[in-house]
Amino acid sequence: MKVRYLAVGLLIAMLAVAASTASGGTSRTHATKIVVWLMNDAQSGWPDAVALANRNFKAQHPDVEVDVQYQTWGAHLTKLDAGLAGGDAPDVIELGNSEMAKYMAAGAFKRLTQSAFPNNKSWLTGLKASSTYNGKLFGVPYYAGCRAVIYRTDQYRQAGIKSAPKSLAQWFADNKKLMKKFGNNSNYSAVYFPGKYWYAAMSFVYDYGGSIAVQKGGKWKGSLNTPRALAGLNQVKKAFALSRASKTGDEANPQQSLVFSKGQVGSFWGNGWEWPYALDPKVGNPSIANDMGAYPMPSHVKGRIMPTFIGGSDLAIPVTTKNQSLAVDWIKAFTSTAAQTEIVKAGNIANTTKLLSASKSNPKLAPFARAASSGWFVPNSPNWVNVENANVLQNMLVKIATGRASVRAAAASASSQITRILNTGA
Amino acid sequence: MASVAESGYIPASRRRRFSRRRVGQAVAPYVLLTPAAAVIGLVLAYPLYLLVKMSFQKYGLFELIRHQGKWIGTANYASIFHDAEFWHVVLRTLLFTTVCVSLTMILGTAIALLLLQVSRWVRIALTTGLVLVWAVPVIVAVDIWRWMVDYQFGVANWILTELHLGNFARHDWFANPWTGFGVFTLLIVWGAIPFVAITVYAALAQVPHELLEAAAIDGAKPWAIFREVTLPLLKPIFVILISLSIIWDFQVFQQIWVMLDGRPSSDYYTMAIYAFHQSFQISEYGLGAAIAVVMVLFMFAATLLYLRQMLRTGEVN
Repeated sequence: MKVRYLAVGLLIAMLAVAASTASGGTSRTHATKIVVWLMNDAQSGWPDAVALANRNFKAQHPDVEVDVQYQTWGAHLTKLDAGLAGGDAPDVIELGNSEMAKYMAAGAFKRLTQSAFPNNKSWLTGLKASSTYNGKLFGVPYYAGCRAVIYRTDQYRQAGIKSAPKSLAQWFADNKKLMKKFGNNSNYSAVYFPGKYWYAAMSFVYDYGGSIAVQKGGKWKGSLNTPRALAGLNQVKKAFALSRASKTGDEANPQQSLVFSKGQVGSFWGNGWEWPYALDPKVGNPSIANDMGAYPMPSHVKGRIMPTFIGGSDLAIPVTTKNQSLAVDWIKAFTSTAAQTEIVKAGNIANTTKLLSASKSNPKLAPFARAASSGWFVPNSPNWVNVENANVLQNMLVKIATGRASVRAAAASASSQITRILNTGA
Repeated sequence: MASVAESGYIPASRRRRFSRRRVGQAVAPYVLLTPAAAVIGLVLAYPLYLLVKMSFQKYGLFELIRHQGKWIGTANYASIFHDAEFWHVVLRTLLFTTVCVSLTMILGTAIALLLLQVSRWVRIALTTGLVLVWAVPVIVAVDIWRWMVDYQFGVANWILTELHLGNFARHDWFANPWTGFGVFTLLIVWGAIPFVAITVYAALAQVPHELLEAAAIDGAKPWAIFREVTLPLLKPIFVILISLSIIWDFQVFQQIWVMLDGRPSSDYYTMAIYAFHQSFQISEYGLGAAIAVVMVLFMFAATLLYLRQMLRTGEVN
């Protein structure tokens, strides 16, 4: 019967599909090439710094190619794990400062000698701490960043807002004015605040004296369900109402600064580099250059600044590398004062205190430098990044933003998950 | 060989040739099978062995870097079987698979029957459309659907609003997992229908016309003819299609993963995503492997159906 041939044909088709999905390859590193993984922020924000480092490295090692591969935050750790397992991780990798502890604790990185690197005496203490485990150095501070409110000065003026808000209450009142003035456009957001933007949301929690987790007697305990944290989260829920961003989306898909540049957004919480990025002629909109400003997010206590997440990145050398000395030389080139100056120009905070004054005198960077004076950081545990990867905070915020759970219930469930993850293996 | 030479009157050379041919005939199939068996062993059996081994080990980031897991017996399995979220995920995956497979089979068969009735040109146009859908790579398909259901610029929200079915401006389909999975069901079924429709159509063409005619003459209504004549004849094909669809829909991953930016909230975890999450996001590779093994067992059940049908189809001939 012909049905039999059909069946055999089906089997062949199935195998062909399986074979076509099983393609893909790996690349080996040779002594003539080093592979560097940087995050795509560098690609869009400060390509000049990367080019400068590569030039200086080439001058030192003319025979060695530098292959800079740009990664996304969502996938780079998965790829690093695969590289560590397969022995072909890159020679140099950038990690977020909250991602370092897990990998240092597991022995993923080569130990480094501090004195070998430029400006090592004046590294930012927060970044240096995130590169150190049990007193040993496994990373080199790369750059730091913190968020401030980046806003449209023309829209603020048209809504009758005379000066940057000095308190959270004033901030809410001003944004309501903006919604009244421009909100008829159903795509307009006074504040662009996507549901999963946890760096922004947690600042409210810390402003009210709350925290994500506290450590007592060697044990962690999630603390988002404490009264202070809940007070902050209730303000977050109110802030979501000022936004028409996706309640299930995040700040990077699409890039919030590019959404802002299209004109239907009054403000957003952005890193310093997102200001120039909004003006990028290729993807952004240079015509709003004269209508942009920034101010530190105000606290609920009048006259104070809301704590901001002190983010940043470090550079590390995976243990699988066979080119350690080349990797060290490239990191030296990329953290040189010249390269760091380029990184500062792009709107970031340098890895060294030597360049801080340059940030404070630049009007486009001063609000961010001021915001950095009041900061918070994630719980200092090797398990922390698992909380990030399990999307615990994002899931909680989406529930709050969409109203699928009460603030109290969402926070309680997130808190118990955080307790469980942070104490794993402890 | 010695005994052959000693025994009797048939010339030894001829007997040797004869037996050599017999040995050759017996061995040839195995020789021919060897490359395929080796490839299957290399790309399927060995990874599966590693997976099962890892599921009995503590295999975190520390162990990953040292390429050395720690044997912990069935602790990983005990842990997932006591994990309420795991059972939620299993139920969700089973429900999702059932809905997707049922819709795919019903709609696919309906389209196949339709293809029999329409004129040649309509049939060609329809088949071309089906093949095009089948040819769209998954990632591209997801991007198309993602734009269609975009909360702000999506054409789905615009059409629904224009049709006065409610105000769908900035309606977020993924805010509620039920509507979110509704979108994924549509996406999966849309992608799976062409294969089922074209295969069933091909099989329908094999149904002897005399049988259908005889049934019609005996006074059977179209539905009765379909149920009593066509369906039993096509049963082998249906069993194969259903088991293949179960296997495909049970392991849905990319569609959900890409649509939700690689950060699906836990409401959207299917077994494949849950296993990936435990392995690559939490770095609990042992736990992830245990989940994957359970998944393999589930799918093995579907494969058994499929294999049994394949063997039966072989026997009939």
